[in-house]
Amino acid sequence: MSRVNPMRPQQTTSSGLKRMVLQANVKPEEAHAPKPIRSPAKPKTRVLVIAHSDRGALDDHARQALAAAAILADAETTVTVLVLGELHENLSSAGADEVMVLPELDFQQFQPDVELASLLAVIKSMQPMRIFMPDNLIGDGDLGRRLIAHSQLTTATQVVEIDTKHVASYQAGCSVLAVCNLPEIVLLAANAVDTDLPFSAKATHVDAVELNHASGEYQDLGLQTSSAAEIALEEADFIVSAGNGVQNLSTLETLALQLDAAIGASRVVVDDGKLPRDKQIGATGKTVSATSYLAIGISGAVQHLQGIKDCRHVIAINRDSSAPIIKRADLSVIGDAEDIMQALIGEIAKAKGANA
Amino acid sequence: MSLQRIAVLVSDGKNPVSGEARHCRNDSLALQVGLNLVPDLTVLHAGNADNPALQDYLALGASHIDVVPTNGDMVESLAAQLQNVDLILTGTRAENGEDSGLLPYLLAAKLNLPLVAGALEITQSGNHLEILQFLPKGQRRRVRVKLPAVVVVHPLAAVELCHVHARQILGNITAHPATNSAVHHTPWRIDTPRKPIKLKAPLVQTGHERLMAAITSKNKGGTVVNDGNCVEKAQVILNFLREHRLINY
Repeated sequence: MSRVNPMRPQQTTSSGLKRMVLQANVKPEEAHAPKPIRSPAKPKTRVLVIAHSDRGALDDHARQALAAAAILADAETTVTVLVLGELHENLSSAGADEVMVLPELDFQQFQPDVELASLLAVIKSMQPMRIFMPDNLIGDGDLGRRLIAHSQLTTATQVVEIDTKHVASYQAGCSVLAVCNLPEIVLLAANAVDTDLPFSAKATHVDAVELNHASGEYQDLGLQTSSAAEIALEEADFIVSAGNGVQNLSTLETLALQLDAAIGASRVVVDDGKLPRDKQIGATGKTVSATSYLAIGISGAVQHLQGIKDCRHVIAINRDSSAPIIKRADLSVIGDAEDIMQALIGEIAKAKGANA
Repeated sequence: MSLQRIAVLVSDGKNPVSGEARHCRNDSLALQVGLNLVPDLTVLHAGNADNPALQDYLALGASHIDVVPTNGDMVESLAAQLQNVDLILTGTRAENGEDSGLLPYLLAAKLNLPLVAGALEITQSGNHLEILQFLPKGQRRRVRVKLPAVVVVHPLAAVELCHVHARQILGNITAHPATNSAVHHTPWRIDTPRKPIKLKAPLVQTGHERLMAAITSKNKGGTVVNDGNCVEKAQVILNFLREHRLINY
């Protein structure tokens, strides 16, 4: 339970009574003391984390694998992360001591032969004592299994529990929890690790290895992206969601079309019959995992926040700056939903026009 | 080269509620995908020939099932049966045993064949296969792979399963003798049923820090934009989307 800070801002009235000041300009939290650096000065061993990047950043699942490696590493172990695909962010807060980037091996390109050969070359030169990978669907689970099949190391896939001694994973159709000693290749399931680290790392860049040539067995014929309106809400990458603050749904539909986003809704809008039941996001509706979630006129009831807990970037447009969604959102814009939506539609059209 | 011999690997599933043996849906999809390519398939199962789950596969379209025992290395005994096969189809994950999803990968490495996972549709073109591959976030990818190959069928593959009792009566099952070799296994032991424990970094705090953490709430939430007119606010949103590479204009 969070308690009221007895030291919060107050003023003394003329009669000598102390009055707490509501809505006072709360001091921005004092700059945190920088976290201690974990990176070892004289490393003896090394662990390797391998993950594909998505839009130039590591997603939550990949960061969990990195955090697991950093937490389990001892004082003389370097954590090296091999990022497949472009990287535009600093991984020092995520716990990476060394970063190697292979931008040509993006997950959208299907080239498992090149990836595996390059991976084996990196492993040969670095000699890691352990390898961590996220067991996801954007290529790491596939690549990890290919690596396992080509090596004689001990392995565990879909690991739901890990510590310094052992790993555990669900087996026999998720009916039993099986444990084994910490293996050399660990494919981590999502949410097995907390990414909050009490330390940071140096994240020095390491020169990439040269890529191997393709074997010619595989050929990529290109991606097929279907428009956001055709795919299920759970699979959508960009969702524009309507709440009670949206007066004019046609504006929202235009905005969603402009952004190529799927349309979701809070319970109130669905109960009013403005949108069908299958658009409802939240505890009674659907749980979504979009990369970007634009919540328009949604106050953010607990049930709704539960439905969007896996969304990476949440943007809120709301009239009330004290609504619960503001605490969840990465960016909150306070103002009238209709006006901001109209302005956004105009700006997007302008940006698209300038780009064309 | 045309698709002459297609092998489908099937495993025994079980009802998640009653525990009764039944077909594994993922493998049945692989079987149906194979039947859509050629009418006659080689169906392989590693395990026990008396397993009632195999009757389901007969009803679902396998005219004949070859059973190899698992007392040796499963990959070795399956690989011995899979020489000169043009295409090997499997499901994504079993419902019994380790269900690590590793078997097709080990088999492909053993037989030195290319492998494509997450297949939704398969079409043949000459001595290549064109495969529609599943990617998350509504994306699909078309890839081409050289035959012979191993293809792992995704659970969302759009095929219809058809259970015919007459096929179950007509079909037959052959058990093959064991080939023995070393067992390739990570030594797993079954633990008591419990909730997995999440790995957290140990946090060392002084008494004062713990007290402050208890009486002040952490400042959650991101940037809040209060000022400016609608157009400026819209610009802020667009800049945020651009900064995180969520839009490309």
